[in-house]
Amino acid sequence: MTALLRYQAALLLRSQRALPPVILYAAVLAIGVQSGQPVLDSLGWTAAALLPVAAWLVRICATNEPSAARSCVGAAAGPERAHLACVSVALGAAATLGVVATVFVTFISDATSADHQIRVSALQAGAAGLLATLACALLGTAVGALTTRPLLRSPGRAVPALLLGALLALVVTGSPARAAVSALVSGSQEGTVPVPVLPLVGAVLLTAGAIAVACGLTTRRAS
Amino acid sequence: MAREVPEREQQPLRLEGVGRRYGRRGPWVLSGVDLEVAPGALIRIEGANGTGKSTLLRLLAGLDAPTVGRVVGRPRTAYVPERFPATLPFTAADYLIHLGAVHGLSRAEAADAADEWLERFGAAEHARTPMSELSKGSSQKVAVAQALLAEPELLVLDEAWTGLDEPARGELERVVVERTAAGAAVVFVDHDPRRLAGRPDATYAVVEGALASRTGTGNPHADGPHLVVRARGPEGTTPPAEATELAASVEEVPGDAHRISVPESRSDALLRALLGARPPWHVVSVEPEPERPLGVVPRPRRPEPIETESS
Repeated sequence: MTALLRYQAALLLRSQRALPPVILYAAVLAIGVQSGQPVLDSLGWTAAALLPVAAWLVRICATNEPSAARSCVGAAAGPERAHLACVSVALGAAATLGVVATVFVTFISDATSADHQIRVSALQAGAAGLLATLACALLGTAVGALTTRPLLRSPGRAVPALLLGALLALVVTGSPARAAVSALVSGSQEGTVPVPVLPLVGAVLLTAGAIAVACGLTTRRAS
Repeated sequence: MAREVPEREQQPLRLEGVGRRYGRRGPWVLSGVDLEVAPGALIRIEGANGTGKSTLLRLLAGLDAPTVGRVVGRPRTAYVPERFPATLPFTAADYLIHLGAVHGLSRAEAADAADEWLERFGAAEHARTPMSELSKGSSQKVAVAQALLAEPELLVLDEAWTGLDEPARGELERVVVERTAAGAAVVFVDHDPRRLAGRPDATYAVVEGALASRTGTGNPHADGPHLVVRARGPEGTTPPAEATELAASVEEVPGDAHRISVPESRSDALLRALLGARPPWHVVSVEPEPERPLGVVPRPRRPEPIETESS
């Protein structure tokens, strides 16, 4: 598995296809986050914006190899493991991006409630932001894994499905991503730092299921 | 969690009642396929385009799961696709090191193996070339090298010879023979009927989704180029039954040797049958059949199999 992860990570880094989603994420953060704003609001934005970026990264990783090269790796390691490595590298990339962004946003934001009246602990806020960011990275990965190869192969259907899936994951009631982000936003209004552990657990379970479905289908769908 | 290469007993790969279709209402590409790939076996799969040969190879390589039936046993497998459009952001050597590691080698072992195999296929000078700049033939050599790095127990070749230059084609044939001698199984598809002629332990044809054994049976005229074997036995005897079963035609020439026409793919087996008969037959000559204008002239037969079988 280590070899597969290294191979997929090298593919992602060298192909430079990860650049557009990273730039998009930076741009979205630049629009929604400014220094001196209430920290929990900014962290909510940071987490939410990561979800579609994570989904996009999964799509990039899953379609990075020509199918002939994918077959060579699949025969050697098993197509399920090869796909698992693909998705894991995308998740790792999204999580890294999210952690860096969260630390940076925590640092430049104002550690107060939304109305700047109540002080909150920057450290606790940052920790809450990390939990929410990871929940969003996970859920974005789930959306990406379910809207690309092997489930959806034609880009004409896969890309709209990815966008719709990312949107739904952020707005549908009961979505762990929505729960995590709204915990931050309401915490900001009340001046209390939430601990969105439950949304993170939900996101882990949902994403594990989605990845299992995607990997299990690698040998069942046409390549 | 490195991929382990256990010193375990190699379990033969077996397809049991395997059928495959794509989509819930798609047509059956394969159905009722039973096939055992024993260690050391060399198996050729034939069939017209679009008959499901590639699907069968993908099932054998573990890239596809059967819709019905089951696949038992999974040797350490390597696969070579027909075309390898390697638009990968690596040099050939870097790609091979990654793949060697995926096959279970350490990075140092993978680097050594990569050099060795690129050298054997005459592509050593391309080791530092970005894959995207390789010619079609050179990237096919990388695809072949990738499969050989870790001495797989099962080698699946889907027209792997396509795009290789002549020396590399010969080298790949030699490697296949070496691998089977070392106990690895090799399953291949190739459009050239002369590919590894006489070597396969079994030849199967995919016909309408089913697997038909072709070894020693079938329409002799569909078997590609033929050879004429002139052989003389003891006075008044006919050729042994094992030999006539393999032959397309047997003709007794009065005052001379028997003239036996045989598809090239079965000629080695025929010669073995003749030389192994009690009393043995004397093989006078082996020549390409002149009347068969197929546009391909069989290569001269190598004499080694005859000598080893007669001694």
